[in-house]
Amino acid sequence: MRLGNSIGHLLYGLSGLLIAQFLLGPVVAHAQEEVASAFRRYKDREVSTGFYEQYEVLPRKTRPIIAVPGVGPGVFAYSPSAAQVRTRTRLADSHQNIKFYNVLRCEYCHIEQTKDIHTVRARLTCRQCHGSEPIAGIEHYYSPMNPVRRHAYVCAKCHEGSSASFASYIVHPPNPTQVSTLKTFPVLFYVFWFMVVLAGGTFLVFLPHTALWGIREFLMTKKKKKKDGNKRGDENSN
Amino acid sequence: MATSVETRTRIKRFTPIQQLFHLLLIVTFLIQGSTGLARMFIETSWGKTVAWVFGGYETCRAIHIYVGILMLCGFALHGIYLLFKINWKNFPESLFSSDSLLPRPKDAKDFLQHIGWFFGISQAPQFDRWGYWEKFDYWAVFWGIPVLGLTGLILAYPLSATQVMPGWFLNLAFWIHRIEALLAMCHVFIIHFFIGHLRRHNFPMDRAMFEGSADLEATRHERPAWLARLEQTGELDQQLVPETGVARRAVYYVVGYLALVCGVFLLVGGLLNSPNITW
Repeated sequence: MRLGNSIGHLLYGLSGLLIAQFLLGPVVAHAQEEVASAFRRYKDREVSTGFYEQYEVLPRKTRPIIAVPGVGPGVFAYSPSAAQVRTRTRLADSHQNIKFYNVLRCEYCHIEQTKDIHTVRARLTCRQCHGSEPIAGIEHYYSPMNPVRRHAYVCAKCHEGSSASFASYIVHPPNPTQVSTLKTFPVLFYVFWFMVVLAGGTFLVFLPHTALWGIREFLMTKKKKKKDGNKRGDENSN
Repeated sequence: MATSVETRTRIKRFTPIQQLFHLLLIVTFLIQGSTGLARMFIETSWGKTVAWVFGGYETCRAIHIYVGILMLCGFALHGIYLLFKINWKNFPESLFSSDSLLPRPKDAKDFLQHIGWFFGISQAPQFDRWGYWEKFDYWAVFWGIPVLGLTGLILAYPLSATQVMPGWFLNLAFWIHRIEALLAMCHVFIIHFFIGHLRRHNFPMDRAMFEGSADLEATRHERPAWLARLEQTGELDQQLVPETGVARRAVYYVVGYLALVCGVFLLVGGLLNSPNITW
């Protein structure tokens, strides 16, 4: 009887604690993992060792014949190593063989890539997305930036739930005003200039129109205005 | 009749619901303009000041999204309102009547004749109830809100949007939204305000949209065709209303000039600071 009572009290106490844990304790996150630190975990994936896991998916499209950018697609590379050197987007270390690399800063060469919303507004640094040295080319087979996993390894750090489609947003868009954009992102070029022509056309018509209207009304003398009105009144009565 | 007409010096032009729609548009448009420009100009001290008014860079975004959705709701409501407003009895013809806001060939003729009048070449056009510039302003909203609303929703909810479109559509949506917004703001803050406030016919302010009525003599001068039509059908007398009291008029002027000051502040600040931002 007495024992039963104390077990009952114990059970009540435990269930009370359990309820308190649910109500007051921290919420268990779905992706809560046992890792030493979040930093450590990201670093594991960001360093381009060139090898991740055996079950890594293959890149979406593999082009067996490598093209040299700016020259056009060719069946054969200039030399066995040329394509590897020049298409840096496919290298495990995209900056390999660059002289004095350790004293350079990203923006010395990539100044255009610092003029976008992610950099200017969100104040992201290059390495927050591209990772630490060695920085893999964005199309390298095992790079976190490779389009097959970019959404999960890079974008999802901030944009929780991002998809591969979402990750095809161009983070460093070319300047839409420039003719060179016609080659790199033609749709953006056309859309931009369509909107500019639309807006410009509206103002081309309505700015002079409104200014002339204002001047014309301003220059009307009061007498003339009255006379005008009377004239119109007469016309109406007729 | 002469004595009764004398106190009723104004002619009805807008219903209270239409005035409410316009007031809602003023408030939401200025909030959208301010919060949008605040974020666009956040690199400058001017942009930071504007953002501060609304609670900072992040809060500006939240306000911009919610007010944008409110505008879309207002737009949908206006669409429903139009369904009730259309004269269904003589339906297809009523759309092309002189009371309709739909553009018609006469508007193009009026426009050209008006320009001729600016240069003293032709007589002033005989405007009817709605001038071509008013029709343009009205229909501009029907272009602006869907374009800004759609691109805005895409940008506000990119994860959902990219389920039905590739992510690089966001790059396009960004520029469409930005240029369309600048077009809308410049049009309202320069052209709409000039026509409503500064031109001699309306100076210092056209109260028609706030009071619901316009001065009869001024309207007779500017829109003779409308007045002639009303006189011919004998409808003019029931359209006449007296002027409102001084207190109400004061409120109209205060509201109108507040909107004007806000708009000019955004326009001038934006233009002056435009070289200092990363576009």
